[in-house]
Amino acid sequence: MSAPADALAGLTRRAQARQRRLRGRTRVVVQVGHCSQAVGALDVASALRAALPRGAHLTTAGCDGACFDAPTVLVTGPSGETVRLTRVAAASAADLVSKAAAGEFAPDPGPAPFFAPQRRLATYMLGAMDGTDAREYILHGGYAGLGRALSIGPERTIAEVEAADLRGRGGAYFPAAVKWKSVRQEAGTPRYLVVNAEEGEPCVFKDRHLMEGAAHRIVEGLVIAAYAADVHEAYVYINAEAELSAERMERAIEQARKLGLLGGDILGSGFGVDVEVRRGAGGYACGEETALLNTMEGYRREPRLRPPFPTQAGLWSRPTVVNNPETLCSVPFILAHGAAAYREVGTGTDKGTKLISLSGAVQRSGVAEVPMGTSLHRIVHGVGGGPPAGHALWAVAVGGPSSGLLPVSLLDIAMKPGSLHESGVMLGAGGVVALDERTGPLEAVRLLAAYNAGESCGKCTPCREGTPRMVAVLDRLSGGRETADDVEELRYLVRVVADASLCGLGQAAGGPITSGLRFFEGKMAGQVR
Amino acid sequence: MVEKTGAKTQEASAGARGLPQEDTLATDRQSVRAELAERFPRHHGQLLPALHFLQHEFRYLPDWGLETVGWHLRIPASEVYGAATTYTELRLTPPGVHVVRVCTGLACSMGGGRELLAALSRELGVAPGHTTADGRATLEETPCGFLCAMAPALDLDGRWRGRASPQGALDLLRKAVGR
Repeated sequence: MSAPADALAGLTRRAQARQRRLRGRTRVVVQVGHCSQAVGALDVASALRAALPRGAHLTTAGCDGACFDAPTVLVTGPSGETVRLTRVAAASAADLVSKAAAGEFAPDPGPAPFFAPQRRLATYMLGAMDGTDAREYILHGGYAGLGRALSIGPERTIAEVEAADLRGRGGAYFPAAVKWKSVRQEAGTPRYLVVNAEEGEPCVFKDRHLMEGAAHRIVEGLVIAAYAADVHEAYVYINAEAELSAERMERAIEQARKLGLLGGDILGSGFGVDVEVRRGAGGYACGEETALLNTMEGYRREPRLRPPFPTQAGLWSRPTVVNNPETLCSVPFILAHGAAAYREVGTGTDKGTKLISLSGAVQRSGVAEVPMGTSLHRIVHGVGGGPPAGHALWAVAVGGPSSGLLPVSLLDIAMKPGSLHESGVMLGAGGVVALDERTGPLEAVRLLAAYNAGESCGKCTPCREGTPRMVAVLDRLSGGRETADDVEELRYLVRVVADASLCGLGQAAGGPITSGLRFFEGKMAGQVR
Repeated sequence: MVEKTGAKTQEASAGARGLPQEDTLATDRQSVRAELAERFPRHHGQLLPALHFLQHEFRYLPDWGLETVGWHLRIPASEVYGAATTYTELRLTPPGVHVVRVCTGLACSMGGGRELLAALSRELGVAPGHTTADGRATLEETPCGFLCAMAPALDLDGRWRGRASPQGALDLLRKAVGR
C-alpha cells in the first residue's frame, strides 16, 4: 500500500473507533449556520447542552439548507432512525429532544418536495455531520478523493477533472482544470491558490453554507487543486461579515494540519501546501478575482486590466489559481467516484450540480443543490413550493444585480452556465429571488441598479458616473416625472457603461434595466408609452 | 490588547467626534505602534489585516491610526486612506454605542425590511446613516445581510436576527439602548 493510502486508512480506523465508542448513544445534532443563528439556533444549542437526555451526545453541524425549517435539530436514536425537529424553540427544545429520543415521534427525513429534486454532491451530509471534524467527514467518504489524487498523480488528477468538465461555480463557469494546468505550466515559484469565498453578491449565501457545513470538504478540494497546480501556498479569502464561516474554516484547517492533511508532507506523499485565512472588508467588487488580489496585496479594491490573467500574473504578480468554494467542493466527488459519475449528473452539455440560494416569495427558502438543467419552475415551485398563500408571482430575479429579471412565463428555462436568456439574464452564482406583488418591476429594478451604483469602485469613469445616472432616471420614472426620452437614455447609459467598463460589475451593471425594459417596459414606464 | 484610552474618552463624552486628548492620543499611538510591530510583518499585504485590527480595537479607523499603520507598513498615509475608503465594512467615523443595521435587499424589502427600517428610524429620531444626538445608537441600511431566506433581517451590534417584525425590532432596540 502507498504511504497516502496507509495514512488515510489509519485516520479511517481512528474515526471508526470513535464511532464505536458512541454506538448505542442517542445522537443530537443542532444545525447552526448564519441563517439559523439569526432565529435562535445558538439558544437551542445551549438549552440542549444544559439539559440533554441521559447518555445522549450533542454535536453542532452546519445546516441542511432548509432555512424555512430552522432552527432544526436531528435526533438519531440507538435504532438508527432519525427524527427531524423543525422550528425548535429554546424553551421546549430539551423536552422535544427527550420525546424524540424516547421514540415518541415518527422518523422524518425532511420535506420531500424540498429534498427530492436535489442531487447532493457538494452538500452531501451537510446538516448531519460536523463539517469541521475530519473524523466525521472521513466516516462519510471524506478525503478519499485526496487519497485517489495522490495515488494517480497531478497530471491524471487534472485529466479526471477535465473529463468531468467541472466549471467554476462562482459565476463565470471557466473550466477548473484549465486554470490548474496553466498555473502548473508556468515557470518559477512561488505560485498561489486563492479560494474566493468573498461571496459579496446580494441574495447568494451558498459559499457560507458550504464553509459552515463542510469546511473539510473545502480543505480537501483545496489540497487536490494545489496538488494538481503544483502550488504550496494557499489562502482562503472570506467575506468580512461571514464570522461563522471563518471560524469553522480556521477550525478545520487547524485540525487538518494536526492530522497531516495539510502542511509539509500531506499523508506522507511528499507534497505539501499550507493555508492562511484572510478576511475581506466588504464590497461586491472584492469578489471580482483581480480586485480580490489587489485587496490581498493591500491596495484599493479595484479590478486589474486583463490580460495578464491571474493564472499568469496573479497574487504578487505570480501565477495564481482562484477557485470558488463550491467548485472545490465538487472536486472530491469527481476524484473519489470518477469523472463518469459526475458527468451522469446534469445534462448532455452542462455537467454536475449547482447550489441555488432561493429566497423571496416562496414557501421553502434556503440553499438547494440541483442538477444542471433543472428548470426555474422546478426550483421555484418544486423546491420552493411556490408563493405563500394569497400571493402571486410575476417574476424571478436570477443571478443577482449583474443579471436581471425573468417573467413567470419563462420559468421553463433550464439552468445552465452563463446566459439563460437573450435579454442578458444569466445564472451567475445561483441566486434566485421569487418576486410577488409586494414589489413591482420598477422597484425591483431600481433596487438592483442602486446596488450597482453604490458598489461601483470608481476606477472606470463611465461606471462611476453612469450607474448613479441610471438610478436618477429610474427615480424620475417612479416619481412620474419622466420625459419622453428617459427610456432611451436608460438604454444609452446601459450601453455606454457596458462598453467602457473594465470589469464584470460595470459591464453587467445595466442587466436589471435591460431585462426590466425587455419584459416589463409597459409597467416601468407606463405613462410614457 | 491595546489600552483604549481614546475610545473610553469618547464614550464618556458620548458621541463627541473630537479627537482624544493629547496625552491619551500619545498613549494610544504608542501602544498601537507596539502592537502593529509585534503582530504585523512589514509587508504591503498586511494593510487590510492591520486595518481590521485597528477597527476591532477602536470600532472605527481614527485618522491618527491610519497614519500609524502607514508608518509601520511604510505605505503613504494617502494610500492607506485611499484603500480604507474603498471598503464598505471599514468606518472612518466613530459609530454610536449601539449599531443597528437593517437589510433592505430584494428579499428583505419584500418581506417588510423597509417598514422595519422606518419603525426604527422613527424610534431613534434619525434617518438611516445617522447617529442619535446622544451618541447612543447608529442606524444603518445595508443592501444585503445574506439572510435572504430569513427575511426581513436586522443586525444589532454584530448579531443578526431573521424573520423580524417591527415590534420585535423595537423591543430589541429599547432593551439594548435602554429607553
